[in-house]
Amino acid sequence: MPLHLLPGQIVQRAVLLPAFPLVVKDILHTLDDESAALSTLSDLVAKDPVITARIFSMANAAASAGSGRREIRDIQVALSLIGMARLREIALTVSIAEFSRACRMDRNFWRHSVAVGVATQELARQGQFSADIALVCGLVHDIGSLWMARCQPLEFQMVRNSMEADPGLDIIDAERLHFGADHCWIGAVLASAWGLPEPVVAAIAHHHDPEPPLDKLVAATHVGEVLANALDLASPAPASVRHLSAAACTLLGLDWSQDMTYLFGCIEARVRHLGRFFD
Amino acid sequence: MPERLRFLSMAEVVEGMVLGKPLVVTKQGIIDFTLPAGHALTETNLRQMRLRQVEFVCIRAEDERTEAEREAELAADAERLTCIFSQADLRDPALAGLHAAVLAYRSL
Repeated sequence: MPLHLLPGQIVQRAVLLPAFPLVVKDILHTLDDESAALSTLSDLVAKDPVITARIFSMANAAASAGSGRREIRDIQVALSLIGMARLREIALTVSIAEFSRACRMDRNFWRHSVAVGVATQELARQGQFSADIALVCGLVHDIGSLWMARCQPLEFQMVRNSMEADPGLDIIDAERLHFGADHCWIGAVLASAWGLPEPVVAAIAHHHDPEPPLDKLVAATHVGEVLANALDLASPAPASVRHLSAAACTLLGLDWSQDMTYLFGCIEARVRHLGRFFD
Repeated sequence: MPERLRFLSMAEVVEGMVLGKPLVVTKQGIIDFTLPAGHALTETNLRQMRLRQVEFVCIRAEDERTEAEREAELAADAERLTCIFSQADLRDPALAGLHAAVLAYRSL
């Protein structure tokens, strides 16, 4: 018999998960603030020693590639070297990577999340919209699965068993069978409770819809996940493509008959590059 | 010997590799660094690229596989793709288009 989960129960049980990094929410909110300066961003990341250490590491790697300057230990100098856009990307990726480590999920789960994050971000870059939010949408799109695994492990295993017994079974149907809900809905409840921006909540909620709402971030997350699977980016984890919304592709300006070499190659290479944060 | 394009992360790039596509780095919307397709990367170029946080490049390299190895690799890729798309209705134009695009990319 399936569970009958209410949003309040999902949020209440989420105490079993590590605390979601508030810096992600804070950084995403600065994107809407035209006046948010580098100093605002540096104040945010300086609160997190892990992110700060990673920024120093990258800034020093860049500096040593330059003119052999002395070691950088000042956050403002580091930020001026690596730039605001890169800083946001590092801060978002590292904080979610740390969250993933604390959750102790299967490595393949996070490989898939990184792959969808990169694919979604590249689709946003190509379409010239919200690349930072797109990265977060992809990185956290399966956050509902994380809740399922940590908070209801028995039912989570039953979903896995059902899918092994019937390889044709859609994961959404399997989850609804045992949980009475799917990971998209659970993830959206969690993201909303954690104060993530509405576009991120919508992307999590609808990424598996055969015909998702016509919103660019939702469309990019939907197509991003399909691409991550089609390109087998989380190999050796199982990958399956079942639906692809033609309307979402059109909204993103994608025409599969065009040469996709650059888009696919860029996504594959960046997944390997960014995967270092998680591996 | 035939050539192929490969997209490599910076950790995989070494001096002497030849760019398969132009490298263009922009900073705040302005072109900050650029190298043309066909350019052989030098150690100085690699330092300049690391300084600018370049994550990947497209490299043109000789395809050292034999014809038999190429065909075997393509067949394995096609088989894996068939498995990944086994639950997809390839009569759907969007799915068929994506399937064909990935297959074309794998055959590069």
